[in-house]
Amino acid sequence: MPIVKRFAPPANLPDFNSIPGQLEAWHKAVSNWFDIAIHEGESRVKPGRFQFYNPARFDPGGVVIEQAIMWNAFPKELLRKFGRERALREADTLWTLDRYYTDFHNMPVDRRRYPELFKTFFRPQNEYCEWHVDRDSRTNAILRVTFTSEPPELWYALFGSSLPGDKNKFPGNRHLALRRYQKLASPMASEADLIAPRDIRAPDTRYAVQGEYNVYNKWNTTRGIVHLTAPPNALTAEIRLGADATILRRNAAGRWLVEPGALICCARYGGPDRNSDPTIGAAVNALARQGADVTLKNPVGLYMDHIDLSGWELPDKRSIAECVRIVRGRPKMIERMVVEVPPERGLTVSDITIGGVPISYGGQIAECITVKLVSIANMQNPPTCNYPIRCDGCCCLDPHHPTALVTSVSVKKALPAGRYKAFVNQGAAELPAHLVRRDRFTETSQTIPATPSSDSSLRRRTV
Amino acid sequence: MNKTNYPPLEPVLPMREIQGIVVPGFLKPHQTLVGVRFPLGSKAILNVKKFLARIADDVSTAEQTLLDRRRHRNMPRDPQQSSEFTSEVMLAVAVSYSGLCKLAPDASLMSSEAFRAGLVTRSRLLGDPHDGPGSLPSWVVGGPGKELDGLFVVAGNNRIKVSERAKGLVREATSTSIEILYCEDGDVRSDFPGREHFGFNDGVSQPGIRGRASNKVDDYITPRHIVSNQAPAAYLFGYPGQDLVWPGVLVLGQPGPSPDPLFPGLPTSALPNWTTNGSFLVFRRLVQDVGLFWRTMRRIAQDLSKKLGFEGIDDTWLAARLVGRWQSGAPVNRVPNGDNLDLGHSHYANNHFRFDSDCGKLEIVSGYKDNFPMSVADPAGMTCPWAAHIRKLNTRDSGSDTGGRDSTYLRRLLRVGVPFGPPLDDPYARRNQDTNFCKRGLLFLSIQASIEDQFEFLVARWMGDPSRPKMPGGHDILTGQNDALGENRVRRCVIFGADAQQAEVSTDAQWIIPTGGGYFFVPSISALRDVLGG
Repeated sequence: MPIVKRFAPPANLPDFNSIPGQLEAWHKAVSNWFDIAIHEGESRVKPGRFQFYNPARFDPGGVVIEQAIMWNAFPKELLRKFGRERALREADTLWTLDRYYTDFHNMPVDRRRYPELFKTFFRPQNEYCEWHVDRDSRTNAILRVTFTSEPPELWYALFGSSLPGDKNKFPGNRHLALRRYQKLASPMASEADLIAPRDIRAPDTRYAVQGEYNVYNKWNTTRGIVHLTAPPNALTAEIRLGADATILRRNAAGRWLVEPGALICCARYGGPDRNSDPTIGAAVNALARQGADVTLKNPVGLYMDHIDLSGWELPDKRSIAECVRIVRGRPKMIERMVVEVPPERGLTVSDITIGGVPISYGGQIAECITVKLVSIANMQNPPTCNYPIRCDGCCCLDPHHPTALVTSVSVKKALPAGRYKAFVNQGAAELPAHLVRRDRFTETSQTIPATPSSDSSLRRRTV
Repeated sequence: MNKTNYPPLEPVLPMREIQGIVVPGFLKPHQTLVGVRFPLGSKAILNVKKFLARIADDVSTAEQTLLDRRRHRNMPRDPQQSSEFTSEVMLAVAVSYSGLCKLAPDASLMSSEAFRAGLVTRSRLLGDPHDGPGSLPSWVVGGPGKELDGLFVVAGNNRIKVSERAKGLVREATSTSIEILYCEDGDVRSDFPGREHFGFNDGVSQPGIRGRASNKVDDYITPRHIVSNQAPAAYLFGYPGQDLVWPGVLVLGQPGPSPDPLFPGLPTSALPNWTTNGSFLVFRRLVQDVGLFWRTMRRIAQDLSKKLGFEGIDDTWLAARLVGRWQSGAPVNRVPNGDNLDLGHSHYANNHFRFDSDCGKLEIVSGYKDNFPMSVADPAGMTCPWAAHIRKLNTRDSGSDTGGRDSTYLRRLLRVGVPFGPPLDDPYARRNQDTNFCKRGLLFLSIQASIEDQFEFLVARWMGDPSRPKMPGGHDILTGQNDALGENRVRRCVIFGADAQQAEVSTDAQWIIPTGGGYFFVPSISALRDVLGG
């Protein structure tokens, strides 16, 4: 595969074309994000070679296989946490940023130290696809649902801001960014609306810098949608996940980890309860285990691949296809999509049924959307891969509410009280002979709790 | 010696409460399905209720069915009992939402949208054709205006006994003003028992249910065949590769799956209370156009064999790639170059493979030695395409569009159906050469705790979708449908040649034609007797 001369903006969106130096700056930034991810990973796989590469710097040769990695747009974390009925309601609701920590990470946030988190809204839709529902204020019927997979990085760049903590500079064009906002969100948007009035600080990061672009501005949260807002939904996170997932892992028994859940809990490269991260990580890791060099396809981006309209119907029995519009991007590389019944039909989105069930939430549409990224694997002959390293973390389960994994905790820390380690010895396979080394393995053992049932015959079995 | 997790103590299931079609499932060679409609009017319904209460005692329980299964396993060693054994007939009763509404007013509390809507309404979601054969108006059973209120499944080892019992049931029902809308026999193929009409060994990848039949610690409903020091495989599988699923995957009110397959999850929701220990049954009457299938395979294989990397392939090679198994049931991941009958017939080996990683040997309790070639990692689907039927339905160790392996466990269902119609002698026969055209197929019956999350998800979201669960994929060309706008029902998928050459296979040939069915609830014995009956 030829060296990438220029990383294009996601879906080759044209916003940067008219800004002098912007395309070069974007290329430099994406290349830099690859370099950072590779640099951090390389130090971890000695001895051995790091199998994630920057396609702007290196062509590893070999047989090239393109693999799109797909996942469902509806947040599985919400499904696991709340069940479908409530998850549909929660997903359509804006959350304040403090809930990202308390609800998704079981981490309390000090309101006095981080007051802005309690006033700043985001969408708890963390599968790299977010949506905004416009309803009729009188009838509450859904008029329009707008979906986006545009990463925030694109909009920092368009605005001419740097990402918090990132050194890449973009020329940007604030006026152009505003025009895009006015077109996509509301003509009422002003430049001042898009600027952070103060820093938004969190225990682990800064979400906005005073005077710079504000991801959480009202036209991208409470009043509309332009791009992704959930903290994990970022292009830089995609690149880092791709890089981290090429590092092979082994468990305490010296077997290498191969299954999605066991891998993500061990490597801590994303949310184990999501649709996206476990499958992205496992797909990349499987290619790396085969000795492939792996990268992401240019233009690097997160895309809606398609929307499945099977079973969709309107009472007028006319075409449903004209209710779906791609606004930015193109089929298979959709960045912005609107679901809306053309006004002349006199119907609303709430009149659409899926399998006979009326659409009451945007999430029902998200359940029909497939999101993706595209990886490139260069299969080498003979294959060589990095030596699997030990786990950084593990996941645990609450036996009284075993619906979701508690986010991966460091192996250096004790398990939270009353929790059980998940996937002990599971999801593993024998190491190939050439990778076996004389290590001392320490096995863990634990008692698995009995079935949470009223059946009196069930008692906890002890080891 | 490595220490490892001990498995959790599995729940004792109420074996006299759960119908035997649900646990462990009727896997009988002869079945008769009787579809009925209940009369209107309170007096007539009272008679129906009395009828149902009466036959509740005849319905096969999980306990009886498991006993039968265990006797069947021991039959070769117990020939004296075999004639008695073959004469036993089993019965299951299932009721649709319309039927439940006539019998139990609080049925409206049931949360399943799919069940309440019924198969006719959900048919479009499954990708069924809008016109021609397979469209709703042409359905043989359960079409618009002809929806069934109830379905009786009579099953056994002896066709005559099964038919006699079915006739008796029809007589009894008719005398209670119950209208018989449908009655059809299904029988395993006389020439190739265990194979469906396209010629493939069917039901090889059935899951096993976790749970015990009694308080005895090892009285597992699904037998365990892997030596216990082979953890965690010994705790994850019955036969090697046979997933053990928590009973809530099949039975309402029982512990469901959790993210870790060795941890029991919360009990599956059962509302109203009387739905506890019940389950959902999906019935689809699927006609198979065998001649069309094999002629299409032959034509595509001939074209494909001219391409680099595909030289020498034939229709059986192509069909095996689209199924993921050779006709014997041998997985292509273990024997990529040709069928192996011994492997296909071995329960210890024919399900023991992975997709994303190499698979090692396991020690088997019986001492069986699996000397067939082990599968090697195939993450991109170069050997078993991602669109292959078995890979679409069970992603095994791979991730999918719904995350990690736990999502596979959540989707598993138990298939208890049977073929119907005579086999086709010449598999390439054209319509005018086939006297039984459109008279053969599959009486598809599946058991699951959620129609939406299991049957419909598999059919609509994986089999009928070109990119899920994973790429490079395509549609499940064998059984999937493509109802996408503007695509004229053409199904496509990607397969790989000898040196990773990619080729697209596509066809608009419709060799699976849905011709009826329905969504049903299988009540517990007490619910049938005391709530729906009584």
